Amino acid sequence: MRDPEHSNIAGALGVALLAALVFASRSASAHLVDGSATGGFAGGFAHPLFGLDHVVAMIAVGLWGAFLGPPAIWLLPITFPMVMALGGAIAILGVPVPAVEIGIAVSAIVLGGMVALAARPPLAIAVLVVGAFAIFHGHAHGAELPPGTDAVAFSVGFVMATGLLHLAGITFGLLTRWPAGCIGVRAAGVGIALVGVVFLSKAI
Amino acid sequence: MSGLLQAFVDGCINPLTTPAHVLTLMPLALVLARQPRRFVVLLVFVLALAAGFLAIVLAVETTPARTVLLAVAAALGVMVATAWAPKLFAWLLAAIAGAALALDSPPQAIRIAEAYATLAGTTVGACTMLVVVAAIAGHANADWQRLGLRILGSWIAASAILVLAVQVR
Repeated sequence: MRDPEHSNIAGALGVALLAALVFASRSASAHLVDGSATGGFAGGFAHPLFGLDHVVAMIAVGLWGAFLGPPAIWLLPITFPMVMALGGAIAILGVPVPAVEIGIAVSAIVLGGMVALAARPPLAIAVLVVGAFAIFHGHAHGAELPPGTDAVAFSVGFVMATGLLHLAGITFGLLTRWPAGCIGVRAAGVGIALVGVVFLSKAI
Repeated sequence: MSGLLQAFVDGCINPLTTPAHVLTLMPLALVLARQPRRFVVLLVFVLALAAGFLAIVLAVETTPARTVLLAVAAALGVMVATAWAPKLFAWLLAAIAGAALALDSPPQAIRIAEAYATLAGTTVGACTMLVVVAAIAGHANADWQRLGLRILGSWIAASAILVLAVQVR
């Protein structure tokens, strides 16, 4: 009979290996294409990390998911990148979306506010809210895709960084299991909403 | 290393180092891992790969294989993310992926024998990746491991959608 602990460790190693394979294939091919192509992945990975409005909104998605618990804890981080990619595709195809920067700032306010208020709407509403804001974030990233960049490398890096920000939010959000942690997470939600207010005031 | 062996190795490495190929093979393997009859899906993929190589041998003109591959990668990524993988869809996408991957892997060799060795290597490399990744994913049975794979599927779908948009722009 299989030892469940052994099976868990093997599974964990497996998932890690699969993720590593994606990373490894990127860097390997990057070197094959040209010397600077690694910048495609690095540039894409860094892209979401250098916009505070993006960063706090991504973390808020993870925090809110952790607050809502299963299945939202995984459904929101799965929904966001896919809808965000659609937003990015819209931008790449040259279709304009109005008030993108305002939408991003509002996303930080709303998502931070949801965390601060420990709001627990129906799952469909939460997915709809996160999906709607993902369009703005995706559009902003897609519109800023540097010309001549290795599109695959950039996209993989950019999606992974976004996903890891969600995971960071989820990890921090798991503190809600304890009363003191719950206060800390809600306080983080307040902070995220305030950052959103600052960016909104700049955008309008 | 002899020319034939080098060509074979180049063919083996090609699907593992070409980003669009990895983006397609990875979710296909994850879908494969959840199929009750994995062998059939793998067989469909290999037959389609062979058909694609036959088309190359018959000197088919340039095809939009890369774009098709990315579309298939996006569809497979969504299937992994939603944990929705009906048998017929899996077969259909495996067939399209196999043919498109072959058409997107024309050998650069000048000698005919080396070209065939490259094609054989590509088949071995792609199938090895599918089998190994599917075997690993098949062991991911804990809830959080399955969720990790679904998140990986959503990342693959998102990446493929973005690159697809760049391709069709």
